[in-house]
Amino acid sequence: MLPLSYAVRNLFRVPARLLQIVLGGGLVILLLMLAAALSEGMDGVLRSSGSEKNIIVLGTGSEESVERSEIKASVPSELEAAVSGLEEVLGRVAVSPEIHYNGLLTLGDGPGDSRQALFRGVTPAALLVHPEVRLVEGTFPRAGEIMVGRLAAHRLGVGEAALKPGTQVKVGSTTLRISGIFQAPGTVMEAELWADLNDLRAIGQRDTISCVVVRLDSATFDDVEVFTLQRLDLELAAIRESDYYAKLAAFYTPLRIMTWVTAGLVVAGAVFGGMNTLYAAFASRVREMATLQAVGYSRKALAFSLLQESLLASLLGSLFAAVIALAFADGLSVPFSIGTFLLRITPGILGLGVLGGLTLAIIGTLPPAWTCLRPELPAALRSA
Amino acid sequence: MSSYESFIRCRGVTKTYHKGNTPVTPLSALDLDVPRGTFLALMGPSGSGKTTLLNLIAGIDSPTSGSLHVGGVDIAKLKRGQLTKWRASHVGYIFQLYHLVPILSAFENVELPLLLAPLSRKERHRQVQVALELVGLGDRSDHRPSELSGGQEQRVAIARAIVANPALLVADEPTGDLDRESATQILNLLRELVREHGKTIVMVTHDPRAAAAADTVLHLEKGRLVEAADLNMQAA
Repeated sequence: MLPLSYAVRNLFRVPARLLQIVLGGGLVILLLMLAAALSEGMDGVLRSSGSEKNIIVLGTGSEESVERSEIKASVPSELEAAVSGLEEVLGRVAVSPEIHYNGLLTLGDGPGDSRQALFRGVTPAALLVHPEVRLVEGTFPRAGEIMVGRLAAHRLGVGEAALKPGTQVKVGSTTLRISGIFQAPGTVMEAELWADLNDLRAIGQRDTISCVVVRLDSATFDDVEVFTLQRLDLELAAIRESDYYAKLAAFYTPLRIMTWVTAGLVVAGAVFGGMNTLYAAFASRVREMATLQAVGYSRKALAFSLLQESLLASLLGSLFAAVIALAFADGLSVPFSIGTFLLRITPGILGLGVLGGLTLAIIGTLPPAWTCLRPELPAALRSA
Repeated sequence: MSSYESFIRCRGVTKTYHKGNTPVTPLSALDLDVPRGTFLALMGPSGSGKTTLLNLIAGIDSPTSGSLHVGGVDIAKLKRGQLTKWRASHVGYIFQLYHLVPILSAFENVELPLLLAPLSRKERHRQVQVALELVGLGDRSDHRPSELSGGQEQRVAIARAIVANPALLVADEPTGDLDRESATQILNLLRELVREHGKTIVMVTHDPRAAAAADTVLHLEKGRLVEAADLNMQAA
């Protein structure tokens, strides 16, 4: 075998070409990492947003979107009375009436100060069914107040200062004061704004609510579903919160597939580009390879050495991609229609990038290496 | 001299290849015996088959038919992989344009054949140093090919060819790219390798002055031997 130092030095034989391979390969690996982080982040936020213990009771036919749902405001109390075995905390039953509302949030007086935002009208009972919600600053909203999720500013595309506690904002024509900031790690709620249930009912000019979220203790899903089936007059449906978000996740599957298809096409283009570069690089070394064969090196040993060069270049590219990804993409918030998630460049994603890079190096190297080593020795030794 | 004692023995060696659909036969039914320790020069016009014969003797190429024994081994029967292994320990090749690896130092170029042998680093270092001293470049071991003159590069190439101590050296126009003084030094060195180290050298050359350094000169024309100019070696 040729020593590794031979491969290392060959890498630096033409610095411009090395730079081209490392940067080109690095960008492709970066794309792979970002596609994986995007897919994982979106999937993660939808998976984490639904609890197995929570049941959403909403209007029949609105199982696909709670925002379209309208049910009577009396449903929560009737449900609480009819279904036993719901979770209780300090004597309060975990039944949360909610309004999910997609509307305009106005931050200032200018024409461009309005943003489409996701609002949730709640009562303090919301904290019983969504225990992952934690206030990080300020207080829970009372009448005339609103609290904002930690990632709401990112989703709205405004600075965090625009949504700091004490700031006045407008929802519709109603002015509300920001009472606090909350977090709910890894869920869509972090990008929402929560207001008092009655305020949001008034803003939406509705008597109804969107849904009731209940948290099970000894009760089962069937107990809640039986209630919805018995009260046909209320036109209700029950769905596990986890199933609801799983359906939403399925809705975004084509988007994720498109992300991977796009990444795949770019990778395929990069393989051909890289192969072209290596064909040119190896073509100039046909005689050198033939000389080494004349000295006694097998074609297999030489192919391995050429592969080593590409793998080293790929590792450099991976390093470049990892640095860029960690410096500029890790922690980046990505808004989508029902929430916002943070891109996380995890060790798994870094590993995927490195593995992808090495695979590309192998696929892109073997054909040019074969072309370089295939000619008969007498002809190869005479080549220019 | 009996063929049994020949270091190189060719019998009915023919080489045919195809250029498109046209068969070309640069060597035809060639018989040759070369005793061990001979410095043989092959001369002839372009296309006479001398480089083809050199490549066959060096195991770079295989004959289409016939037998070709070198050191008792019929290399005509060896497959490509076997020939590669055989070359590593039995033959050193000296090229007209040196064919040194440009990114490696003189020392590392000479060391290349030894990396194929089960030798310790220390032993490799010793053998490389001996080879470089023998060609008079012991003080240039750290130099890269681009930092050496043509004559020095060819001497590094000779050191690479002899470092694994092969019995056979083949040289394809070894002085073809050198000035007269450097060429003379190289030819003296090759002669020294035959006289003092018992190597067998087969050299292709167009230059009568280079051929004069050999013990024997063979002329080829159209793939056949036409003249043997020495009593020590004969066309069989």
